[in-house]
Amino acid sequence: MGNKEISLKALEIGKKIGADHAEVFYNRSKTLEVVIEKNDLQVPKGDTYQGVGIRVLKDGKIGFASSNILTKQAIEDTVQSALDIAVNSPVDPAQGLPEPAPLKEVEGIYDPRGESIVLADLIAKGSEFMEASRGVDSRVTVDTASFKAEIIEREILSSRGIQAQERKTKFESMAMGFARDGEDISSFDIEYIVSPEWKELNTEEMGKRLREKAVGNLGAESIPGFKGKVVLSPFAAVMLLFSPIVFAINADNVQNGISPWKEKMGEKVASEILSIVDDGSLPREIGSKMFDREGVPPKRLEIISNGKLNSWLHNFYTASKAGVMPTGHASGSDQSLPGISPNNFIVKTGNEEVEKILKKLDKGLMVTRYSGGSDPVSGDFSGVVKGGYLIEKGKERKPVKEVMIAGNIYSLLDQIVALSKESQRVMNFQVPYLIMDGVSITGK
Amino acid sequence: MLKTLKKIVHSKDEFLEIRYHKRFSTVIQFKNGILKKGERKTLDGAGIRALVDGCWGFVSTSETDENNLRRAVDEAIKAAREASALKKEKIENLSQGDVGQGEYFLYQPDKDEPGFGEKVSELQKADERIRNSGEDIIGSIVNYHVFQDTKVIVTSNGAEAEIFDQKSEIGVVAFGAKDGKQEMAMVSNGVTGGWKDLFSREDLDKMTEKAVEIVRTKLKAGYAPGGNYTVILDPRLVGVLAHEAIGHTVEADFVLSGSVVADKIGEKVASELITLVDDGSVEGAGKVIVDDEGTASKPTVIIENGILKNYLHNRESAFMFSTEPRGNARAFTYRDQPLIRMTNTFIKPGKDKLDNMIKGVEDGFLLIGMDQGGQADATGEFMFGVQEGYRIKNGEIKEPVKGINISGQAFEVLKSADALSEEFRMDLGAGYCGKMQPAKADAGGPYLRCRVKIGGQQEEGEQDGE
Repeated sequence: MGNKEISLKALEIGKKIGADHAEVFYNRSKTLEVVIEKNDLQVPKGDTYQGVGIRVLKDGKIGFASSNILTKQAIEDTVQSALDIAVNSPVDPAQGLPEPAPLKEVEGIYDPRGESIVLADLIAKGSEFMEASRGVDSRVTVDTASFKAEIIEREILSSRGIQAQERKTKFESMAMGFARDGEDISSFDIEYIVSPEWKELNTEEMGKRLREKAVGNLGAESIPGFKGKVVLSPFAAVMLLFSPIVFAINADNVQNGISPWKEKMGEKVASEILSIVDDGSLPREIGSKMFDREGVPPKRLEIISNGKLNSWLHNFYTASKAGVMPTGHASGSDQSLPGISPNNFIVKTGNEEVEKILKKLDKGLMVTRYSGGSDPVSGDFSGVVKGGYLIEKGKERKPVKEVMIAGNIYSLLDQIVALSKESQRVMNFQVPYLIMDGVSITGK
Repeated sequence: MLKTLKKIVHSKDEFLEIRYHKRFSTVIQFKNGILKKGERKTLDGAGIRALVDGCWGFVSTSETDENNLRRAVDEAIKAAREASALKKEKIENLSQGDVGQGEYFLYQPDKDEPGFGEKVSELQKADERIRNSGEDIIGSIVNYHVFQDTKVIVTSNGAEAEIFDQKSEIGVVAFGAKDGKQEMAMVSNGVTGGWKDLFSREDLDKMTEKAVEIVRTKLKAGYAPGGNYTVILDPRLVGVLAHEAIGHTVEADFVLSGSVVADKIGEKVASELITLVDDGSVEGAGKVIVDDEGTASKPTVIIENGILKNYLHNRESAFMFSTEPRGNARAFTYRDQPLIRMTNTFIKPGKDKLDNMIKGVEDGFLLIGMDQGGQADATGEFMFGVQEGYRIKNGEIKEPVKGINISGQAFEVLKSADALSEEFRMDLGAGYCGKMQPAKADAGGPYLRCRVKIGGQQEEGEQDGE
């Protein structure tokens, strides 16, 4: 059966067996991937996938089942499973399925070049990366690097009248490596690129950055602890600060009472220089889409404006619970119920380049990667600094090891003192370098 | 399916490994009285690896009729051949372990396994119990997950195995608040088996009570001062140390990339009290009888009385190290290729009584359970969050502390081990090990006394820890 046929069939079955409403989310993808491990080309991979996730609504109760076996029998069983789950579930008045809303196509999220990419193209990207990293300095070991091309087709059909489909491309590369000079081993570092456009997959530049970071961390020494400024790389900032913020602005966590910001709407939660927007309609961005996992168009949200908290991220369920319109942040695949995620999470940049900001630093710790926990509920974090160096009087740069940082994210947000002019794309986040004061740094 | 796969494999001259894998999973999640997830999923397909001219090619597909499988086999062979032209270090050969042939049941199917509706009602009650515990308990999550696997693995080197597996797990989370502060605590378990096995150690009532108790303890606890201390780690933390900080460094692929134990076989890497084993054939959430390369599982002694003995292998690395594979090649779904993974990884118990171990600590901590994950590097450097901590002063357990992270170099920590309890538990709880793809793993050990660095949070005005 073709995908449209499958979806229509599922809706029809749902109606026949007594569901009040049904929704079918169909997903097809084709993925090619080349992997480098231990400095050498590894297993090239190909995957073709198609599957459906079906939600049914019965007496105000929802049930979900998914299958990637798409025979008529399997579809029937899946719809039946979803209905069984609905029947056996407790009533929840907020459950439902969204009504259709006008959708707008997003430019530049599908690159037709994706159709003609073959494994040999990805092997070439891998070679470029190796040349720029280990090819230049043999102390660098590339532990793992992957080069991936993906075409994704999504379709949603519901008995409420939602009917939409979209095709996207995603080109992604992730690399992890370290440098070894005799007994001296640097910490593991990470580099990452993602884009809907093939031409953005600049693996040469990525190889260069990984090499510089890994080699730069050789000869690292322990330092005494202090309380003061840290400079977070965009990557470290996402792990340490912005992941907890995503948790705090997730309407589901707010409604469950576990968001530390549940009573802070409209209040100041961060330094005045921090502004964040989420916008899923931007052209050529990886998190952009015409419709979310439930068929709702993504809304542009000002999440934090000059330190003030402005909006939550909603899916249909949380929105109906709060009595507001969904914001188009339902996320997930055909294999699970919709969750909530940001689309393109963009942190407003500052006016000065990071190098200029560092030059003015009397003393601070650069954190290129952060390894550890940050508890989104309490905001407490404590973890190891990777690929870090100490900056003194603006110029001396000393690589450090065995350094831990600790503090509370939500209180430290008020102590963001500078943001760089340049920003980087880390997954669907766009984040500048960020300087935060008042962090506890434990050394040896 | 077995017949079809055999026919395809034997019709080709190239080395082939075909793994058909069908998975049924059920997920149930309650959050604050609301059913957040009630899901049934079917994931079905085949993963095919071909070895051609010293290079692998891997193709996975959700279409498993004979024609599509044959097409996928040809694509895998083509991919391997294309990549081979550029691969520097060719795979010379694969080592052969004990090959799996026949039917394998990893669990006893239980005819009394509750149905979906019954499980929903039990989990809903547990979720309610947490929130009804008192005004200081403000939120709850109950998470249940089970998957049933059927695999058929056929390889050119003679594996013809049909495998039936079931892994279940439960996590119970309580959120508490007091004086403007919030805390959370999780109690979890993971097993190979069904509902009954999942609650054989502690029933659901006991788990919810424990989560509430831990949250309350954390709410009244102060922060621990940072510094180097003698601590006693509980079996879960010992398991996490064995798995995360030691286990990954001895995975042969990490060894080949220059992990900290490269070239250290035969050397003393830990206290002689330490014997560390990975064994898929024993009971635990990481149980594997035949791995995804068709190799039967056997125990691997990683460290014996402090001496590093063996790494963990797949067929490819075992050949390079002139040894045999022992069942550590694992793939999570049909879409994943087998990687070197741990199974059940544990430190063997010692002879000490926990009470005596505590008595021997002048100034230190008793540390129990994990908080928000952990991480470790190829250097053996690790950092783990700890869920519960208690100060020990002059051999006596004192006040609770919170916000504790432990860090250090894992082998140095194991060198500092000076006491291991008789009591032993395999106890990694719920959750997955991540290494490009998830894997169900278990880990454990005795209570272990050693030295670690505690990176506690510093209160305003406090001096840095030594």
